[in-house]
Amino acid sequence: MPAIVEAKSVGRVFPMPAGPVTALSGVSLRVERADYVAITGPSGCGKSTLLHLIGCVDSPSSGAILFEDRDVAALPERERSRIRLTRIGFVFQRFFLLPMLTAAENIELPQAEAGVAAPERRQRTRELLEYVGLADRAGHLPSQLSGGEMQRVAIARALANRPALLVADEPTGELDEETGNHVAGVIDRVHADGTAILVVTHNGALAARASRRLVMKSGRVLP
Amino acid sequence: MTSFALAWRTAACYRMRSLLAMAGVAIIGALLFDMLLLSRGLVESFADLLNSSGFDVRVVAQEGLPVLRAPIGEAGRLASDLRRLPEVDDVTLVRIEQAVLTGATGETTRVSIIGSTRSSVRSAWTLLKGSDLPDAATPSADPCPLIVGRHLAEARAIAPGATLTIRISATRQPTALPAVACRVLGIGDFAFGNATEFAVATTMSALAAADTMRPGDEADLVLVRSRSQAGGRAAARAIARVRPDLHAYSNEEIVAEFNQNGFAYFRQVSIVLSSVTLVFTFLLVGTLLTVSTNQRLGQIAALRALGIGRLRIAAMLPWESTVLVGAGALLALPLGGLLAWRLDRLLREMPGLPERLHFFVFNSGAVVEHALLLAATAVVAAGYPIWLASRLPIADTLRREVVG
Repeated sequence: MPAIVEAKSVGRVFPMPAGPVTALSGVSLRVERADYVAITGPSGCGKSTLLHLIGCVDSPSSGAILFEDRDVAALPERERSRIRLTRIGFVFQRFFLLPMLTAAENIELPQAEAGVAAPERRQRTRELLEYVGLADRAGHLPSQLSGGEMQRVAIARALANRPALLVADEPTGELDEETGNHVAGVIDRVHADGTAILVVTHNGALAARASRRLVMKSGRVLP
Repeated sequence: MTSFALAWRTAACYRMRSLLAMAGVAIIGALLFDMLLLSRGLVESFADLLNSSGFDVRVVAQEGLPVLRAPIGEAGRLASDLRRLPEVDDVTLVRIEQAVLTGATGETTRVSIIGSTRSSVRSAWTLLKGSDLPDAATPSADPCPLIVGRHLAEARAIAPGATLTIRISATRQPTALPAVACRVLGIGDFAFGNATEFAVATTMSALAAADTMRPGDEADLVLVRSRSQAGGRAAARAIARVRPDLHAYSNEEIVAEFNQNGFAYFRQVSIVLSSVTLVFTFLLVGTLLTVSTNQRLGQIAALRALGIGRLRIAAMLPWESTVLVGAGALLALPLGGLLAWRLDRLLREMPGLPERLHFFVFNSGAVVEHALLLAATAVVAAGYPIWLASRLPIADTLRREVVG
C-alpha cells in the first residue's frame, strides 16, 4: 500500500545556548492509508518533535520526510502550507480554536483558506458538526463549549478539507477520562471512515485503540 | 472570512482591550486634530480677516512694516495716481490715531480712531445699528460723524444720535489739540476690534480736522482693491513701479510673511505636538498589538499548522490596528472639535487680538490629513507584530505552548 508519509532515518537537533540537543535520532516511520499509529513514551522522548516533522511544520536536521512521495524539506513554505491545509489535519492538546469565531466559523476557516465556495463550506460544516455530535452547537463560541466539545470541534476543523492524515498531539491531554474516551471514539470513527491517524499520547487507553503502537525513548523508536 | 472580518471579530472579542485602545487613540487623536487645525487655523483666519475688508493690497511707507504704519504724505495725490493704474479698481486712504473720547457724563475713554475716505471701508466694520458714514464724495451735514465699536457702545451705553467729544492724543500726556464734537451715526462691529481696545471710525476729513498737528493730506495706510483680472500681486507690483518709495503688499504676501515669521511659533508648536501625538499613537497601538500577538502565539502557530497562510494571518494585524485606530480617530474628531473650541476661546482672550481672529479653524484638509497620518501610524504600529506573527516558528511555538 502506498505511504502517505514516510520518515527516513530522520534526526532533529535543536541548537541551544548550552549546546545542541538531539531530540530525534535515526527515526524511520511509514504511515499508510489505513494506518492508525499511536506513539507513546515518556515526556521529552521526541514524540511531539516526530509529529511536527510528520505534520510538515518542522524540518529534520538529517534524513528526509516524504509526504506522498515528495521530499518536504525541498518544498517551499507555501507548498508545505498547502499540504497542511489540504492533506493533513491537526488536532492539538489545547484545541486552539479561535475564541472570536463560533464553532461553525472555526470549521469553515480552513475551507475558506482552501478556496471552497461558501454554500459548499456551510454544507460541509453542517455535516462535520453532525459527525462529531455537535450539530446544535454550531453558533456557540468556544467559551460556551466544554473541553470535550471544543476538542470535537477541533477534530471537525481538522477534517474540514478531507485530509489524508490526521495528526493529533495529546488530544485527550486536557480532558477527563470519560470525555477523553468520547473524543477517542470520534477519532476511531475518523479512522474507520478512511483517514489515517497518527496520535501522540500518554493515554494508554487511547494508544490501545491504535492498530500500530510505537514506543519512543531518548529520541529513538524502540524496536 | 476576510482578514478584515477576522480583525473586526478579534476587536469585538477582546472588548475591554479594544475600548481602552480606542479611548486612548481618541484622546491622542483629538490633540493631533487640534494641532492640525492650529497649524493652518491662524493663517487662514488672518487671511480671512484681511480679505474681509474687500481690499487685496495694502500700501505703506518704506519705513514701516505692514502693521506698523508710517505716515504717507500727499495721500490724496497718491490715491489719484493709483486709481489711474489699469490693475487698480478702488483706493481708500486710512489714517489711525489715538484719542480721548468724552461722553455726555464727562467720563473719558482712550480709543483708536480710524479715518477713511470711504464709508465702512468695505467690511472693516459691520454696521449693527444706526447709519453708516457718508462717502467722501457725499457732502455731510455732520462735521464729525462717528461709528462707535460695539464694545465701546456697550461699555459706555452709547447709542446712535449721541454726541461725544474727541481729542486726538497720541500719548497719555495733556494735548493742545482742540476737542471736536462728534455725533454717533451708528454702532459697528470692527473686524480688527477686540473687547479690550475700543475703536471708533470717522471720515478722513473729520479726523484731519481734529488732528491739526499732522498735515491734513497724510495717511497711514492706503487700501487698494485690484481689478479681478489683474489680481493683488500684479496690482502691488504696478504700485511699486510707480511709487518705489512705498511698500505695496498683496494680502497673499502679508499672509505669507506672517506665516514665515509671526505665526511660525504656532506652526512649530503644532508640528512638535503633532509628532508627539503620532509617536504616542504608535507606541499605544504597537504595544497593544504586540502584547495581544504574544498572547495569541499559540493560536497563530496552530492556524499556521492548519495551513492558514502567513499572509492571511499577517494581514489581520494591520486591519486590527486600523479598526482600533479608525474607531479612535472617528471619536477624536468631535472630541478634538470640542477641545479646539475651548482652546480657541482661551487663546482669544489674550489682550490686543482682533476679535475675529481664530487660532483653530475647521477645514476639511485637516480632517483628511488627520485620517492619513493616523492610518499610516496604524500600519507602522502593526509592523513589529506582523513580523512576529509571520516569522513565528510553528513547531517551537506549539511545543512552548504545551510546556508553558
